[in-house]
Amino acid sequence: MDEKPNPVYKDERYGQSRELSYSYDKTGNYEKTVGFHGEPDRVIIQQAWDHFNERITEAKEKVLAGKVSPIAYYMEKNLVDTLSLSMLAGISIWRVKWHFRPRVFNRLKTKTLEKYASAFNITVEELKKVE
Amino acid sequence: MIKLEFEHRQAGHCENGVTSNLLNYHQYKISEPMVFGIGAGLFFSYLPFMKMQHAPTTTFRVWPGMIFDRLTKELGIQTVILKFRDPRESMTKLNEVLDQGYPVGLQVGTYNLTFFPPEYRMHYNMHNMVVYGYDHETYFVSDTLMEKLVEISYEDLMRVRYAKGTFAPMGRMYYPTYVPKEINLKPAIINGIYKTANNMVGVPFFPLIGVKGIRYLARQMRKWEKKLGPEKASYYLGQVLRMEEEVGTAGAGFRFIYGAFLDEASRVLNQEWLKELSIEMGENANKWREFSYYGSRNCKKRGKADQSYDFLADMLMDCADREEKIFKKLAKIK
Repeated sequence: MDEKPNPVYKDERYGQSRELSYSYDKTGNYEKTVGFHGEPDRVIIQQAWDHFNERITEAKEKVLAGKVSPIAYYMEKNLVDTLSLSMLAGISIWRVKWHFRPRVFNRLKTKTLEKYASAFNITVEELKKVE
Repeated sequence: MIKLEFEHRQAGHCENGVTSNLLNYHQYKISEPMVFGIGAGLFFSYLPFMKMQHAPTTTFRVWPGMIFDRLTKELGIQTVILKFRDPRESMTKLNEVLDQGYPVGLQVGTYNLTFFPPEYRMHYNMHNMVVYGYDHETYFVSDTLMEKLVEISYEDLMRVRYAKGTFAPMGRMYYPTYVPKEINLKPAIINGIYKTANNMVGVPFFPLIGVKGIRYLARQMRKWEKKLGPEKASYYLGQVLRMEEEVGTAGAGFRFIYGAFLDEASRVLNQEWLKELSIEMGENANKWREFSYYGSRNCKKRGKADQSYDFLADMLMDCADREEKIFKKLAKIK
């Protein structure tokens, strides 16, 4: 537990809250302390976000190159996998994977597109392009 | 508008904190480690076939909701636990219960939780919090992770209660209705310790649970770098550490809380040997903490491991040995 935020986090909004944690000293007493996260904890959280951001940029490049449909990009942007996305949109997991192909995506009905849009909490127009 | 007088206390783990705070509202004082111990929350399991955030799941606790269920059953507290298919119906029921004067515990997903610290807003569906009042579209929330009381809107609350994915909460809500006047803690503590010890060392054949699970993870860890390449191996290790330290475990995968529980139990039961075991548990917890310290140094270098996986696996094996010794002794409790 450190006293104040330290520069491991790349995003400024991170690491502002103080949390409670337990610790043990050699004399046999357990203590509760409230404080900011120490460096090891920050490193592993930042690692997860690095991983997610990497996947998002990768997916964006693929969409722009025309290899996958925008659904793949929005899926990564919402940090979900195919299983969660199929639950969110109410579409079976195999169909979701099928819709990753740009040619299939371009022929989709508005009804299906609306399902995806509501799952990602955006409009259908936004779903069709990657900003 | 309803706003109950709910005392907010910060806690190390969400479900323990919620349970302890809810009982505190019904004039029954019970500490967070006690809730965790009687609810038999300590566990270990490594599930390589179940992926969470693109890496295998490691869990240091029992299924969500189990601590509350077990604790209230052991102490003879009457509760109501509800799940709903229809989101609107669940919100109406929530309002009704609040009108009756009961604060309600909810299981939620953290991704859309607006007041949550942004670094934790990944998909994690096992978070718990208490709603203690509402005013039209605003709900008053006591979240044990936060220092202060917070608020959330109707739409947002409905979305987090119906988050999807692994362990989807399905709008699960729970609240105690009646707490008996006299509660005998002793048999409950003994049962809780026995259950935990059985989970950790008493499960036959299945190699992924308890102390065997820790050893299995250690053996797998030695192979990660060869099998997955440095980048992915480092991410897998990071996932283990995140489950151990970050998801509201109060440090070292609940081992600190459990040690505190053994300390308290030795005073309630008047059994000196539990105090000795609590000291051993504390040392074991410090070892886990050391493991996460060296592990995070590995993660920081992003694959250029200055702390090799063999070294970390040896540390895990050491922890497994220590825990096997502790829990074999605990299993003999009377």
